[in-house]
Amino acid sequence: MKKAKQLINSFLLVELLKGLSVTWRNMFRKKITIQYPEEKTPQSPRFRGLHALRTYPGGEERCIACKLCEAVCPAAAITIEAAERPDDGTRRTTKYEIDLFKCIFCGFCEESCPVDSIVETRVFDYHFETKGEQIMTKEKLLEVGRIHEKQIAADRAADARYR
Amino acid sequence: MDKVHIEIDGKKLEAEVGSMIIEVADEADIYIPRFCYHKKLSVAANCRMCMVDVGSLPKAVPACATPVAEGMVIQTQTAKAINAQKSVMEFLLINHPLDCPVCDQGGECELQDLSIGYGADVGRYSESKRVVKDKDLGPLIATDMTRCIHCTRCVRFGQEVVGIREMGATGRGEHMEIGTYIESSIESEVSANIIDLCPVGALTAKPSRYKARAWELRQSSSVAAHDCLGSNVYVHHRRNEIIRVVPKENEAINEVWLSDRDRFSYQALSEGKRLLTPRIKRNGEWHDTDWQTALNKVVAEMKRVIGASKGNDFGMLVGNSVTTEESYLAQKLIRGAGSNNIDFRIRRRDYSGDGSGMVRSGFNFPMEKLDEMDATLLIAADLRHEQPLSAFRVRRSTGFGQVMAINPFDGEYNFRLTHELQPETNLLAQEVAAVVAAADKICPDVLSAEAKEWLASVEFNQTHEKIASNLINSESSCLLSGVYVQEHPQAETINWLIESLALITSSSWGYMTQGCNAAGNKIAGAVPMRSAAGGKSKPGKNARQMITEGMKGYFLLNCEPDVESIWSEQALKNLQKAEYVIALTPFADGRALEYADVMLPIAGCFETSGTYVNVEGKWQSFGAAVAAQGEARPGWKVLRVLGNLFELAGFDYESSQQVINHLREKFDAVGDIRVARKIPSPLTLVDFNEATRESLGLYKVDPMVRRAKALQQTPKASTHHISISRVKT
Repeated sequence: MKKAKQLINSFLLVELLKGLSVTWRNMFRKKITIQYPEEKTPQSPRFRGLHALRTYPGGEERCIACKLCEAVCPAAAITIEAAERPDDGTRRTTKYEIDLFKCIFCGFCEESCPVDSIVETRVFDYHFETKGEQIMTKEKLLEVGRIHEKQIAADRAADARYR
Repeated sequence: MDKVHIEIDGKKLEAEVGSMIIEVADEADIYIPRFCYHKKLSVAANCRMCMVDVGSLPKAVPACATPVAEGMVIQTQTAKAINAQKSVMEFLLINHPLDCPVCDQGGECELQDLSIGYGADVGRYSESKRVVKDKDLGPLIATDMTRCIHCTRCVRFGQEVVGIREMGATGRGEHMEIGTYIESSIESEVSANIIDLCPVGALTAKPSRYKARAWELRQSSSVAAHDCLGSNVYVHHRRNEIIRVVPKENEAINEVWLSDRDRFSYQALSEGKRLLTPRIKRNGEWHDTDWQTALNKVVAEMKRVIGASKGNDFGMLVGNSVTTEESYLAQKLIRGAGSNNIDFRIRRRDYSGDGSGMVRSGFNFPMEKLDEMDATLLIAADLRHEQPLSAFRVRRSTGFGQVMAINPFDGEYNFRLTHELQPETNLLAQEVAAVVAAADKICPDVLSAEAKEWLASVEFNQTHEKIASNLINSESSCLLSGVYVQEHPQAETINWLIESLALITSSSWGYMTQGCNAAGNKIAGAVPMRSAAGGKSKPGKNARQMITEGMKGYFLLNCEPDVESIWSEQALKNLQKAEYVIALTPFADGRALEYADVMLPIAGCFETSGTYVNVEGKWQSFGAAVAAQGEARPGWKVLRVLGNLFELAGFDYESSQQVINHLREKFDAVGDIRVARKIPSPLTLVDFNEATRESLGLYKVDPMVRRAKALQQTPKASTHHISISRVKT
């Protein structure tokens, strides 16, 4: 009985048609492919992309050189040097570098920051042309922060309940 | 001592009667949290953090102020103890700003650590917090007084250990503030110890402010290089840069303290102007060059100058902080090259006793014993400004014993003197002789007839007699002479007198010496009359002759005679006049730029391995904490290669350890030979000007200290504080 059923199925190409039905069904479904870079997938406010250093609305940098991000970084990608800022004697970084080749985008730096200074933005598409460009210096990080501040602030606000 | 039996956390312990619970617990490795308690300070019991549960008592009691009693059962982890500690922590945190991210103490803060264990995660306090104005404590200590939890360790340190009350608490309760009494910075030479004592971030080190976190630092043991005590230190460094220097506990030497000089001198290495490549002067201009060229040039010039004068006109001067290995190789080099002119004693006036005395100069008793002396006689010993930490020990002995002084200059003491003689500097020998004569009168059977004859004409008065009888009648007594004695024109006479006095009064005696390695340099043979380990040598010229008579060639081993010597003006003139001056130095500034013809960069201290022999004769070896900057190389390596280039035998060392082992073997074979001092020629009156004390001052002693920025900004650096000899009217 079982053998007869198998024989009929293979003569009538039932399995082939079953497989083809998946193909036909999907052929008329709405496409999920997007036209990158014109189109982009939606991102979570918790997205962990390129780093940025934030500033306060007045322009004052947030970072106070506590070095917690440097300490928590599992990939040892962050290097900080600190000193007293000559004008007002506050504790500031003189060097803040993230090596993007080392970074594993775990987001620990962001989590450890007591002043919400170092953050990971939604930016994920960037490239380097020469060796050395992967080092995000303090100026570069601050610039990223300035460009994306609106988005960064909105994301922190959206996620505030859970932080 | 009676013992009692107690139990802490189930551990049965035996304790001495009168000891506090916290002491017993510390010894048994049971940790009780504390802020105000410190083993070297008195019990204040004002932080209330060390609460423990004593079985028989209804409430928790402070462990630091509760003496043990027979059968006491103590629990540190019961709800009663923990709740008490948690409540205390809540009170402490009321006014503490919790600004750990910007605080330099963050990561090594006692309050931070304990608040993890005992602090609540949510504060119940919603009233306003107090803010305290920061105090200006000078260039060494940064303050953030809002963080202060009033443990009063800094106050007690000044009061009890140093004996100078610089810090104090004003106001009460909420209004209590720690600060200086009068608006002034802290001036004491050991002030920075309060940085270590402060359990929070209220007092932090200014030179290393905000530079690094405790967790980034690597720690290497080393030995401080600015006084003859040889304090043990930890060098904290990161990425080959020295960030700070802190004391390493050694009960026998520095206990838990460190002088400011030893603590902040590292700044010269990290921030000073360093010599990074060998340099040769051509037509009055400096040119950087490579080691090969520079060394070949040095060898050629040395050969030329030494050859032309049969070694008479070439001399080597050895600096204050040169390691034993370096001076051993240096003397081997210069003697091998054909000259015996080598000396490290660039501040000595009197060389008449060069053949006698010890191979090693210093104490004949362990430094620790200074604490226990019933009678101490200080002879021109300005301890606070020469060996700051030794003053702690002498001060401690004043609790029960007497300290007397023959004080030819206005020395500042941090303890009370029972008798004080104040001769003019040129009459120092006469004054010491008077004490010896007075002692001889009380105990006439000790001195030889010859010595008695020498003393016959010496007059003495009641004070001399009192000092002598105090020394004789004390169970333990010691004579301590300062650095100035060795600079005195009658140094040998005074040394002989001190040893005679020690003999009569059966006292211990000790000579404080200039620099950190006088004993080591002497053993190594960096003196004209002896080679290594007391070996024989054809006599060469001594430092005074080399400096004042002028030579054709000089070899300066980390030495700046134009500043350090007593005859500094003459030194400068003769160095400028000299045909060829070779300077081995870590620094690229100072007058060496004018007078030297070749400068070879050597490693500074903490950058080289080596050994210092301290004033008690302890050989303390240490490794390099960081690598030397630029092309600079450790001094012993440079000297070793020079030895090879001269094709001398016995220069094939591969590590500084091999060098010191070799010297140690030699020294142990002969032991500490002591040639008895001869009875000196009769006392003459020294010219007043010849005996002035040209003190280098606290912060001018060696090239490194002179370049330490923060130390140079302190009030003590600018004043030539006690260099003026007293003139009687």
